[in-house]
Amino acid sequence: MPRLLRLNGELTPPPELLETGQWTLESGLGVKLAVDAEVDERWLAAPLIAIDFPAFNDGRGLSLAVLLRTRLGYAGELIAVGAVHEDLLHYMRRCGFNGYVLEKDAAPREATLHPYSDYYQASAVESRPADRRMGGQPSISSRTSPTPSS
Amino acid sequence: MYRYDSFDQQFVDERVAHFRDQTRRYLAGELSDDEFLQLRLRNGLYIQRLAPMLRVAVPYGTLSSRQLRMLAHISRHYDRGYGHLSTRQNMQFNWPELAEVPDILADLATVQMHAIQTSGNCIRNVTTDEFAGVAEDEAVDPRPYCELLRQWSTSHPEFDWLPRKFKIAVTGAAADRAAVNVHDIGVIARQQGGEVVFDILAGGGLGRTPAIGALLREGLPARHLLTYIEAIMRTYNRYGRRDNKYKARIKILVRAMTAEGFKAKVDAEWAQLKGSPSTLSEEVIGRMAAHFEPSPYPQRPGAAEALAAQRLRNPAFNRWVRHNVSPHKQDGYAIAVLSTKETGTPPGDVSDAQMEAVADWADAYGFGEVRISHQQNFVLPDVGQEQLYSLWQAAVTHRLGTANRGLATDIICCPGGDYCSLANAKSIPVAEALQRQLEDYDYLHDLGELDLNISGCMNACGHHHVGHIGILGVDKKGREYYQVSIGGHSGADASLGQIMGPSFSRAEVPNVISDILDVYLAYRIEDESFLHCFRRIGMAPFKERAYAKAA
Repeated sequence: MPRLLRLNGELTPPPELLETGQWTLESGLGVKLAVDAEVDERWLAAPLIAIDFPAFNDGRGLSLAVLLRTRLGYAGELIAVGAVHEDLLHYMRRCGFNGYVLEKDAAPREATLHPYSDYYQASAVESRPADRRMGGQPSISSRTSPTPSS
Repeated sequence: MYRYDSFDQQFVDERVAHFRDQTRRYLAGELSDDEFLQLRLRNGLYIQRLAPMLRVAVPYGTLSSRQLRMLAHISRHYDRGYGHLSTRQNMQFNWPELAEVPDILADLATVQMHAIQTSGNCIRNVTTDEFAGVAEDEAVDPRPYCELLRQWSTSHPEFDWLPRKFKIAVTGAAADRAAVNVHDIGVIARQQGGEVVFDILAGGGLGRTPAIGALLREGLPARHLLTYIEAIMRTYNRYGRRDNKYKARIKILVRAMTAEGFKAKVDAEWAQLKGSPSTLSEEVIGRMAAHFEPSPYPQRPGAAEALAAQRLRNPAFNRWVRHNVSPHKQDGYAIAVLSTKETGTPPGDVSDAQMEAVADWADAYGFGEVRISHQQNFVLPDVGQEQLYSLWQAAVTHRLGTANRGLATDIICCPGGDYCSLANAKSIPVAEALQRQLEDYDYLHDLGELDLNISGCMNACGHHHVGHIGILGVDKKGREYYQVSIGGHSGADASLGQIMGPSFSRAEVPNVISDILDVYLAYRIEDESFLHCFRRIGMAPFKERAYAKAA
């Protein structure tokens, strides 16, 4: 039974949309995008966007998520569906996803969800200068996990 | 050289814990072979023909003596007492136990090392000029930019799951020793109006469809380095092919879109990214550059005279200096190349004792720094000129003193069918046979600069496409054959070798190479190099000779 894992660790049944297949803008419920979709302003109106991964190692969905968040400014719910692997959730989170549909009943362990306490780069959820940690000067100020801006 | 701060150390320590946990889950049956494959590849671990192979990152080929001693320890404790210098300036271990790999990584982390992104479809270890920072012909020290790229590309959220592997090389010198023309991205750093700027190439590469990179942008100001590369990476990640791994490299995308089309797409993306958070401030560039500031070089009065006298007294030493020592930007100093290409040793293989000896020399004859070149040799970057003689004597006793850098026996060679599960044919025995045939010094010296490169398969780890003479192992109905190409070159005026014709059996290869060299010696004008001669006279005379005899 697939479950929707939210960023806060909550595990809930996935949106009914997954079952009904009403993924159209007209439905007002949400849209499901293929990983090779181009960014379209109409999606700003969707309360929910799902990106459908055809294989867990297909990184196109990561770039698409970044573009939705940073280029389009989409602030709604963005979830990963399809071939979603728990070991990639830490990448997905930083690309702006805030939910994942997993084929599991139990949430992944903390060691898998948050393997690193901080990262080098700027990301879709952390627009502080990329170089604040670069160049070998420890920045004591921030050692917390990035949180989503939306 | 760069030293970790608390953030770097924390990240690498957490990487060890992360990989240890993934290995445990795999061994406990919680991760399938396919799942673990993708995860271990992002940490340099292959499952090879005979055993796992662990590729340790040596960022842009630079090591401290302490790090090299740790590699010696790892080779002794976890492996069979040797390691292999790869053509991307890394070190590979061929016999680790899977279950012990997390312990190896933990040992590496104690000396600020790791195996992050040394394999898999992600941004690999950035490579550069093995003489970076000390070369006489250098305009810009590329290392600060390499380290910025290393940090930026480490576990990048968007670019760790690319269509295919991705290799970046940076150079800042007049002579391109980093082969930037044949990398997915090549970066040429230079000075312009008192500022550092970059020329950016993309779509070069070896492997199945070799290509010279296309110039995407000239004179990019340094602060835009990461955002511009981000624009290239995003374009590739979104549009690169994923349906066929042999057509998934960026060179195929650049070809399909045309260089102009690809550039237009990248420029459109960059127009949006320019000035975004990955823009480098002057402060951070300065901070990074400070890591690579040379410690003050003590004056060495009389060093040049002492060296000149030693060279006169000892012809063998003189030969070694002629070939293996390069000019240093600092008076009284020199750059020494320690060749791993003594006949009878697989090119690039080094024992634990050799590693420890090199580490000791780096301390005694320098500031504790060692480089690995993409030609699979060690480099000591800061040797006092009067110290070269004692270094050479020590190097000879450790089989690292062969005077053949850049000569025909300084063969670039992948591990081939002896180790690698991808190989179609063995490469090490071919290298050895050729070294035996060519090792007479007078003949070798007469041939002059000659890059002879051998790969055991199309993946071209031995860079055969850019060898002046390239040899490629192919499988012909289950038998090992070798295709010979001529005219490749990896320098600033890079070119891809042309295939001479039908392939040869392993036994035929030494004679074919002899034929090619005979043609060169017969046709060359005065001191003309092999490459220049080939470019002038073309393939026909070589082909005629090689196949007349083989027929």
